[in-house]
Amino acid sequence: MQVDPITRQVIRNALVATAKEMQTTLVKTAHNPLIYEVQDFGMVLTNSKGQMIAEGSGLPGFLACLPPTIQSGLELTTFSEGDILLSNEPDDTGTHISDTVLYMPIFYKDELVAFSAVMAHWADIGGMMPGGWCPSSVSLHQEGLIFSHNKLVDAGIENKELMRFILRNVRYPKIVEGDLNAKISACQTGARRYIALCKRYGADVVDAAMQETFSLSEQRMRREIASIPDGNYSAEAFIDHDGIERDKHHKIQVNIVVTAEEMTIDWEGTDPVAKGPINHPLVGTAAICATTLKSLTMPLDATNDGHLRPLTVTAPDNTLVSASYPAPCDSYGYVAEIIVHVIVKALAQAIPERCPAATYQMCAYTLSREGADGFITGEPVDGGGGAFPHDDGPTGIMFCGNGDAPNTPIEVLETRYPTRFNEYSINLKNRGVGKYRGGYGVIREFEVLTDNVDLKTSTENNQNPFWGLNGGGDAGVTQVIINPNTEEELVLEDRVDYHWLNSGDVVRIETANGGGWGNPAEREPERIAEDIKNGLISLEDAVRLYGQNKSTLEQLI
Amino acid sequence: MTTTPQSKSNTKLNTKSDTGHHLAIDVGGTFIDFIYFDAETQNIKVEKVPSSGSLEERFFEGIEQLEANLSDIEMIVHGSTQVINTIVQENGAKVGLITTKGFKDVLELARGNRPEVYNLFYQQPTPLVPRYLRCEVTERLDYQGNVLQTLDKSELKKAILDLKEQGVEGIAICFLHAYVNPVHEQQAAALARELCPELQVSASSEIVREFREFERTSTTVLNAYTQPRMSGYLGRLELGLSSRNYQGSFAVMQSSGGITSSQVAQQAPIRTIQSGPAGGVIGTAELAKQLGIENVVAADVGGTTFDVALITGGDLLTRTHTTFNKRPVLQTTIDIVSVGAGGGSIAHINEEGGLQVGPQSAQADPGPACFGLGGTDATVTDAQVILGYLDPKHYLGERMKLDVEAAKTAIMKHVAMPLNLSLEDAAAGILHLTNMNMAYAIRQVTIERGHDPRDFSLVSYGGGGGLFAATLLKELDMKQVVIPHYPATFSAYGLLYADYREDIARTFVSPFADMSPAALGLRFLELEQEAKDWFASQGLENDSLKLEHFAELRYLGQEHNLIIPVEKTDVLAADLSTLRNRFDAYYDKAYAHSLKDHELEFVGLRLSASLVSSKPTIDKLKQANTPVEDAIIRHQHVYLDSNTHATKEAKSYPVYDRKKLQASHSITGPAIIEEWNSTVILLAGQKLKVDEYGNLIMEAL
Repeated sequence: MQVDPITRQVIRNALVATAKEMQTTLVKTAHNPLIYEVQDFGMVLTNSKGQMIAEGSGLPGFLACLPPTIQSGLELTTFSEGDILLSNEPDDTGTHISDTVLYMPIFYKDELVAFSAVMAHWADIGGMMPGGWCPSSVSLHQEGLIFSHNKLVDAGIENKELMRFILRNVRYPKIVEGDLNAKISACQTGARRYIALCKRYGADVVDAAMQETFSLSEQRMRREIASIPDGNYSAEAFIDHDGIERDKHHKIQVNIVVTAEEMTIDWEGTDPVAKGPINHPLVGTAAICATTLKSLTMPLDATNDGHLRPLTVTAPDNTLVSASYPAPCDSYGYVAEIIVHVIVKALAQAIPERCPAATYQMCAYTLSREGADGFITGEPVDGGGGAFPHDDGPTGIMFCGNGDAPNTPIEVLETRYPTRFNEYSINLKNRGVGKYRGGYGVIREFEVLTDNVDLKTSTENNQNPFWGLNGGGDAGVTQVIINPNTEEELVLEDRVDYHWLNSGDVVRIETANGGGWGNPAEREPERIAEDIKNGLISLEDAVRLYGQNKSTLEQLI
Repeated sequence: MTTTPQSKSNTKLNTKSDTGHHLAIDVGGTFIDFIYFDAETQNIKVEKVPSSGSLEERFFEGIEQLEANLSDIEMIVHGSTQVINTIVQENGAKVGLITTKGFKDVLELARGNRPEVYNLFYQQPTPLVPRYLRCEVTERLDYQGNVLQTLDKSELKKAILDLKEQGVEGIAICFLHAYVNPVHEQQAAALARELCPELQVSASSEIVREFREFERTSTTVLNAYTQPRMSGYLGRLELGLSSRNYQGSFAVMQSSGGITSSQVAQQAPIRTIQSGPAGGVIGTAELAKQLGIENVVAADVGGTTFDVALITGGDLLTRTHTTFNKRPVLQTTIDIVSVGAGGGSIAHINEEGGLQVGPQSAQADPGPACFGLGGTDATVTDAQVILGYLDPKHYLGERMKLDVEAAKTAIMKHVAMPLNLSLEDAAAGILHLTNMNMAYAIRQVTIERGHDPRDFSLVSYGGGGGLFAATLLKELDMKQVVIPHYPATFSAYGLLYADYREDIARTFVSPFADMSPAALGLRFLELEQEAKDWFASQGLENDSLKLEHFAELRYLGQEHNLIIPVEKTDVLAADLSTLRNRFDAYYDKAYAHSLKDHELEFVGLRLSASLVSSKPTIDKLKQANTPVEDAIIRHQHVYLDSNTHATKEAKSYPVYDRKKLQASHSITGPAIIEEWNSTVILLAGQKLKVDEYGNLIMEAL
């Protein structure tokens, strides 16, 4: 069947708008701040084969994880109208156990025509750590409840026993229940709109329009890949430790083969699964490969299955990037971040002008105290963005995997929690020199105003820092300094699980910069002078690091 | 049409004239629109001049063309795009910033999020104050406003003099927690004004009293950044007016939908950021009141954008946090959502091979291909010409001849040939996609705010409003569409209905349980006094202000809050349970659940004070005494598409002259209703009725 180009475009746009509407429904009805504030979710519509036809915004990695989850459901079970299923098996969903997928088959005239699906971080999944992110689990079973395409609603009939079981096994049952309802509403919104399209144009026309769109998107992706010179491009990165074996630097290696219009991303050479929870399932790895390729080639196009077709992702069994049951995966985020940057690093050999240097590795902290006057607060901390092939990297930006999450205003934090901030400023330590320099990290320094507060931090790649490209300096290190400039000063370049603070203790977080791009000697003197004028670098350091003539710079300032 | 503007003399500002004549002047992207009410003859006069070149010159040119006697006019209301243009074009003043020690980089670090998640090259906007013009001084308050460290005056003096030395045109001051206690900011502003009387100084506490340091700093800096241009512009207009013997008051539209004096707009230009589009929304609200409709989507179809705002339960929806050009502003602002779809939107084949319309626009220059001004892109207007929606011989009341061949060439080349479609199918496709983009925008805006578009009527205005209204009615299954009188200059018309308004907001974080009704009442009394003082300081009456009270509340532990109206009876009651229940109900409406047992928290209090003036009332039209067919001026060949395709052949449809329509006239589609600067399309299956005020009311049959 052929669809005229106008109808095809109308249907495509309608499906993109539908995914957006699903997102609005979720954000409007969720109970969990991770959903409505941090945007820790993703949602898609797929056709009856589980091929993505439209996505809402959210975390890019999540979006590409949903179709494989549905595809595994299609292999495992059969669907009836009115079903709603849950799945969070990392082997299927590609991320950690907290990111549970809820999905719904869509029927039109008694035939399965599509699926709507939502992935979102649960407020709690009943594992060893409240809210997830176990730093030291050694098995998936410690991390929480596992769902394997279980029907929460079976042909329209609610499975109340399953719901009761879930709610008894999570720490914040009210929030979890509210979020589940929000996800159901979002999927139902998707179904309603999809069915309306089928009524208007016919299910076969809608499907044919998307098949044609897939083909157009695939052709476009093929043209993009063809513009990358053929060849084999490899890169590697190391991780500081897995949370259990603290002396071992696990290796991640990527080998990219570009042949005409196709690309293979292979992970041969990557270390076997780690004992600690930094492992990453293959489905998730493939998703990040796909989104990274799309980011490099056509970041603004609405994504669909066609974009994924010219890409093959392979890995040996059970490595850090192809972990399978029962490998612990709860702190998968560090490796997720490395996967993005190591792919870009490899491709920079082929298309340097399209590849930015690495952005800082993630950093976050949590402060908590149990008991009657207990509290919990925490936030990801911004850092330096990798330099671009045409400009300096952004200063004070969120790491890639956390996408659209904003930092929290200090005036809000001080109002709500017993903390007082001394400083929020640009961290002038920047190793990312280059023709274009990396963005600066930040300094966030606060004093704790009460006793018995537990500090947890998330940081990685301080012994094995991220990199610059084409001769640019590396992405530096993140330091957490307790009580700076005192006799008790403690400088941490590693994450801590339990560090107790009392009133008056000061925590200073200095996040890493982004990597630099290109030879520092080629940096335009005007840019150096501007940095000097803005107090980002001293004249002496500029002369030393960029090899510029002192008097030239003095004249420009 | 005639209207009877009643005197606004109770709102006059240093006014020596009380003739009742009013003039509204609205600056748009292409034209400046003038609407003049002559109170004696009860006539409206409309004038349009191009908004190119010197706006001041165009401003007075338009007044001259109106042939209105300036010295007889009581009041001029101005909708200005000066501030938004300065922000979009980034051509504002060189500004210095003074902050609390340790926090000068807050402006640059912003919130750190990356909304374009796939974009590896995402950048936050460059700060409007470079780092070397950002100074820190020792001072610190805690979140309750207690002074932890006193302001170091010698550091402050040095900072001010350093900035002066650097040649700044303005100084912005933003200290942590100054929204609770402005003492240090006041001291700093006073010293800056004393040391540099030639500089304009903006202290955050004079602009916005709400927490969130980055957003507050951004707002304050934007104020300082736009101030020299805006105050220069308004100053020159004031001068020009007085040299022409104008003695009435001169007011400027604010983003909130209320007006303020030109003086205040010069001190706080940031309040006028949405001054331009606000008039149409105010006009819509007034129209909704007249027609007795509660829920309305106001849709302004221009050349480049489609702007949507909501009126629910008779109130226009505002927001307190907006972003312009990626830069946040904390101000009460009419909630207007803009998408890139309009008459000038360019249709092209995107890299994937699909047809895409907008967001790029041919704008006024060169404009659509059919304008014959050198444009070669295929635009929405070109498609309308090809389909016969617009008659090339009668465009803009024959003021402009449309080049049909140029339209055909553009659409053939850019759309029809690449997609292997007929010319008419290509044109119909362009229109259909544009209609759908507009429909998605309306649906998204309504559902995001917890509403269903089917519960709304659409008021469609702007030059292109009538061309899209029928399809939107059908697509969204809305209740009805209203095409107001003077749709093309409706934004200017709306300015005549605005009241003086002052919005006061205070961050105030406190457990709900700790607050008694009396204590809440006292807090509001302080805000009321402040509002009254403001009106008095402007030489306005202040004893009959319309006061609206709001509390910002949230569930303890949540970050997002809702703004809930507070009634007089709430603060007189024994407890605040009614307010509490109202919050739960609002929350349920917005988020489809509520937590009735969960503790609440106050986050802020808001007061909106308006000086309500009597409004021009529209005389009713004459009841029909001639058959509607008498209004048919010609027949036009149209390919009126019902769905995605053009009809095979053009059919002849009647064209009605809007001027000749009388009250209770009724037309069944398909048909075209034309006035000199606006065309209304009515589809088959729809009917249109002329109401007693001359509005066109369109409904499904």
